[in-house]
Amino acid sequence: MIPTHWFLILSAILFTIGVCGVLTRRNGITIFMCIELMINAVNLTFIAYARQFHQLHGLLFVFFIMAVAAAEAAVGLAIFISLFHHRDTIDVDEANLMHW
Amino acid sequence: MQFAIFFFFAAVAVIFALVVVLHRNPVVGALSLVASFFALAVMYVLLEAPFLAALQVIVYAGAIMVLFLFVIMLLNLQHHPETPTRPVQQFLGYTTSAGFGIALVYYLLKYAVFEKLPEGPFQSDVRAIGITLFERYIFPFEMVSILLLAAIVGALLLSARKGLPPKHPHEVAP
Amino acid sequence: MAWDATDIALSIVKIAIVLFVMLNITPVMAWVERRGSALIQDRPGPNRVGPFGLLQAIADALKFILKEDIIPDRAHRMLYTLAPAFGLLPALTTIAVVPWGRGFRIPEMTIAGRKLFAGGRWFEPIVADVNVGILVIFALASLGVYGIVTAGWASNNKYSLFGGIRASAQMISYELSLTLAAVSVLLVAGSLKLTDVVWKQAGYFVLFDTVKIPAWNVFSPAMWLSFIVFVVSGFAETNRLPFDFAEAEAELVAGYHTEYSSMKFALFFMAEYMAMGTMSAVIATLFLGGWDIPWYHEPPTFLGFALSGLFMLLKCAFLMFVFVWVRWTIPRLKYDILMRLGWKVFLPMAIVNIVLVAAFIAGGWI
Repeated sequence: MIPTHWFLILSAILFTIGVCGVLTRRNGITIFMCIELMINAVNLTFIAYARQFHQLHGLLFVFFIMAVAAAEAAVGLAIFISLFHHRDTIDVDEANLMHW
Repeated sequence: MQFAIFFFFAAVAVIFALVVVLHRNPVVGALSLVASFFALAVMYVLLEAPFLAALQVIVYAGAIMVLFLFVIMLLNLQHHPETPTRPVQQFLGYTTSAGFGIALVYYLLKYAVFEKLPEGPFQSDVRAIGITLFERYIFPFEMVSILLLAAIVGALLLSARKGLPPKHPHEVAP
Repeated sequence: MAWDATDIALSIVKIAIVLFVMLNITPVMAWVERRGSALIQDRPGPNRVGPFGLLQAIADALKFILKEDIIPDRAHRMLYTLAPAFGLLPALTTIAVVPWGRGFRIPEMTIAGRKLFAGGRWFEPIVADVNVGILVIFALASLGVYGIVTAGWASNNKYSLFGGIRASAQMISYELSLTLAAVSVLLVAGSLKLTDVVWKQAGYFVLFDTVKIPAWNVFSPAMWLSFIVFVVSGFAETNRLPFDFAEAEAELVAGYHTEYSSMKFALFFMAEYMAMGTMSAVIATLFLGGWDIPWYHEPPTFLGFALSGLFMLLKCAFLMFVFVWVRWTIPRLKYDILMRLGWKVFLPMAIVNIVLVAAFIAGGWI
């Protein structure tokens, strides 16, 4: 049996890599992929705790997180497509019309 | 034996996640993310949740990432190379996330180390998940279906270029 | 569960048998396709290399190995080289969860007076009997999109890109009706394990108290509709005519594998035939009773195992011949009609079938 805190540390490492990607990259789609990575790290935490306490609620929560992440990916990518059609770039630093 | 599998697939997940963050080409990043999700599915199997492992591959690696790849390829992003971030932002980004990560791991090791698991097997088969889903979580289940409908309509409306397509071929688009 | 040396040895034997069959599908099917298409089109087909053209596959293999391996100039080298491997992965891994014979108890074997094998071990001829077998098939089938889409993009060729994107849109659309058509099988079997699905089909339907029909899912009054949906979606998933927009030989040059030559093309070729073989095995397991021999109760001995394995092979062979037959009989569908069929015809049919099966189960007729 693998101790639960190893899974939690793996999840922390993946979350940190996701945070690093969101802060450092300019390509909007890459930032979005790093957000998906963070969501998956959280999924791993939920399932690790579900196994630790032998409860099913963690697994059900992950089920709903997957559904919501699918919906969010669809709408987010649609937003990126319309941003690309208007500004012809995916660089998030160029999306600055409301900048002061 | 489980430890060997855990370490191998944990290394795979972390390495491919680093490729996503560091590589310039978004297509290579998307495919590495698929590999990372597959390694995470193996982790779920190690945590005695095979149903969720299969769902992870079907939903995340098999559908969401295909959507990502479609968008990347349709937008022809290889002709718009990404300008590198300014050094100040890069330095601050790396140091902040490194500090955050170190603090997270430290507090996890301090407060979240469990000695033993409860007795008996973990009833995480599909039957138990299904019963819990349709008895205790029936309201979120119905809400998620409405959410998905809203996402479909929203994605259709947002990605249309100039309004919706005309109903009859003779009409001009609004 | 503790694994000892005998378990590992038996696993290796199972993997070897499955790999042997899968890797031999390509040359056999290449011959069947060419002679079968010649039969349907009233022409001789390959008959120069060996008797009845049987060595044609070896000639093809030699050609593929000896041809020059070209990588286009502006293609993305790493992804271009890896794309055929992505295509091969789902085809080879899905067959690990398909049961291909009846389990039997290994008898004690002695050679020259020394005990070679302590008998009594149960041999279950399925490489990985997981509790979520049906879901693993769909998980790995949904990974089949990546080979096509990567090959189309990495070739740096607009025809390949069009072929790749159209093919992957078609595959993800038909995955839905494929999955929902199999849900009705899962409802009746009551379990996601494929061995349970096959055992549920091992009985008989008794009509008028005299006629015994084998209880295969295709003969069941609730599941004949999902059989049709599953088979048609299987054609769409493996990119075979009438759904072969990925290749579209008359329109897109050769679609996503336009720029591929020699061994990389051979890998795509193999991946397509292996996916066909895997889909036939899955259709046989879910709807045609798997390894069940009609009107015969297989004993749990080596004889029962061998006969059931033979019947499974015969069912898969018949289904693969149907794949070839349909290819050379039905014309290709237009792309918008294809997508319309996937979303507006087969998906509602699959959902209606689930409700039908649920009604049958609630009414107690199944």
